[in-house]
Amino acid sequence: MRQLVRVAFDLLLEAARRKWFLALFGGITLVLLLLGFSLQLDVVDGAIAGSKLFGSLLFDDIVSANHVMAGLYKVTAYVSFYGGAFFLAIACSDFAPELLAPGRIEHLLSLPISRWQLLFGTYLGVITLAALGVLYGAGGLTLLLGIKTGVWNFKLLLGSGVGWVGFCALYAVMLTSNFFVRSAALSGALGVATLILGVVASFRESIAVAMEAGLGRELFSWAMLPIPRLGTLATVSARLAAAEPLEGEMVTRLLAGCFIFSAALLSVAAWRFERKDF
Amino acid sequence: MTSVLAVSQLVKTYKGLFGPEQRALRGLTLSVPQGAAFGLIGPNGAGKTTFIKVLLGVVRPTSGEVTVLGGDPQDTAVRARIGYLPERMHLPAALRGRDFLRSVSTLKGLTVSDAQLTSLLERVGLRTGDQRVGTFSKGMRQRLGLAAAMLGEPELLILDEPTDGIDPVGRVEVRALLLEEKKRGATILLNSHLLTETERICDRIGVLDHGQLKLEGTLDDVRKAASSWAVRFEGEVSAEAAGFARSDAGWTFEGDVVGLNEAIDAARAAGLRVVSITPRTRDLEAVLTESLRTGP
Repeated sequence: MRQLVRVAFDLLLEAARRKWFLALFGGITLVLLLLGFSLQLDVVDGAIAGSKLFGSLLFDDIVSANHVMAGLYKVTAYVSFYGGAFFLAIACSDFAPELLAPGRIEHLLSLPISRWQLLFGTYLGVITLAALGVLYGAGGLTLLLGIKTGVWNFKLLLGSGVGWVGFCALYAVMLTSNFFVRSAALSGALGVATLILGVVASFRESIAVAMEAGLGRELFSWAMLPIPRLGTLATVSARLAAAEPLEGEMVTRLLAGCFIFSAALLSVAAWRFERKDF
Repeated sequence: MTSVLAVSQLVKTYKGLFGPEQRALRGLTLSVPQGAAFGLIGPNGAGKTTFIKVLLGVVRPTSGEVTVLGGDPQDTAVRARIGYLPERMHLPAALRGRDFLRSVSTLKGLTVSDAQLTSLLERVGLRTGDQRVGTFSKGMRQRLGLAAAMLGEPELLILDEPTDGIDPVGRVEVRALLLEEKKRGATILLNSHLLTETERICDRIGVLDHGQLKLEGTLDDVRKAASSWAVRFEGEVSAEAAGFARSDAGWTFEGDVVGLNEAIDAARAAGLRVVSITPRTRDLEAVLTESLRTGP
């Protein structure tokens, strides 16, 4: 276990010194600082009596702080889901190819560490990195608005957490692909493709209905079946952040689908890794 | 003497997806005694790196038996006792030298203090352990790789081209370091194209070609296992007629022991008196080229 954690920790250490991630955390910090200094809110009894962003009025009337925050959280959840997934799919695409690089993988495999520990350590490192990004961005915004309005709403963190599960499924595809073809470009492309397919899969029933009945429709339905419904997950994430009502069973099914999808792909990766010569 | 590593009838075949099969190792049998410094030499594509990877469990053999430090290299407990420096080591560029060593020590299950890391870095001649690996020269990377291999004083050191990219002065330092490790009791398996380095460090040599062991023995044996002899006769004589040749070293005979005896008999029959017969020692370059030419 100590070795698995060390592999994940090394990946975080490496990420901390990469420009991509410095830019990500720098960007989040910049947005939070801009909002912190330029957003002025006068909250009276849970309602926003006056609001200014960069000196311009945001609302003419008095509005509920919860209502405004729900809208903002919803937008933030969507942006962090799609933007975060896209950014991380590109930025994390070369971790696995680097790990499997000739001259590095032989050295790692010569150490007293199992192959599955290397695989899951890498996966753990990347999803922890994504979790840190989510925690920093969503947590920072929650803290900022909490201080400004005095209304503490942690739903954005919950919604972003659901979004993070979607990225876990995405990275499982990216990581597994490298045990077949070691390529950062392919890995990143597959990550983005899975994100797009995940949106398509969310509308599979309505798309299938629009298709002509026959083999094509059947193939489409079967092909879309194992793909996690990332578009629906993004909506769930946004609605959770906005504290809108959701069907518990549907959320559970979506999350379970992502976990099963990730576990299945990681099993394939582990199977391939165990048999591969380097 | 106990064998630190022993392989028997080792075969490794790489199966191409569309291309033909490649047989990297063809029934290799070899054992290396404890405390030896074994030099593996051979041309490119001889199977040396594949052999090393099999010993480390990085590559699985197609058939044959492999025993390293009394166990299976797939066993992590066995690998914990091995230090390895790969050919063209790829290091994580964003990490500092010290971070890398700390990471390797954790993965090896060791607890190493900062002072110990500093001492190890100094030992391999790296005074820039706090710099990022990405800024290291090739030689510095090689030194860091060597330090990683030496972490925890392993019983077996497997080094693939350890002095590659290191300047001549650095090579002397690395050689001294490896001799220190040998003195400590570590067994060393060295794969190097620098035959003079191998000659200076190793006491046993194996010549590998086309996945087969062509020649194996102590350094003195393989250098002597020759078919070349220096013969000294009494007085100024001419021994051409008996089959000897004149060279800078005096009279020499090229051939096996039976041929040598026949030539000496002929020389003595012609009235020449033999003062001494010495097997001519060759350098490893000659050993390698001759064994590749003549076969096993």
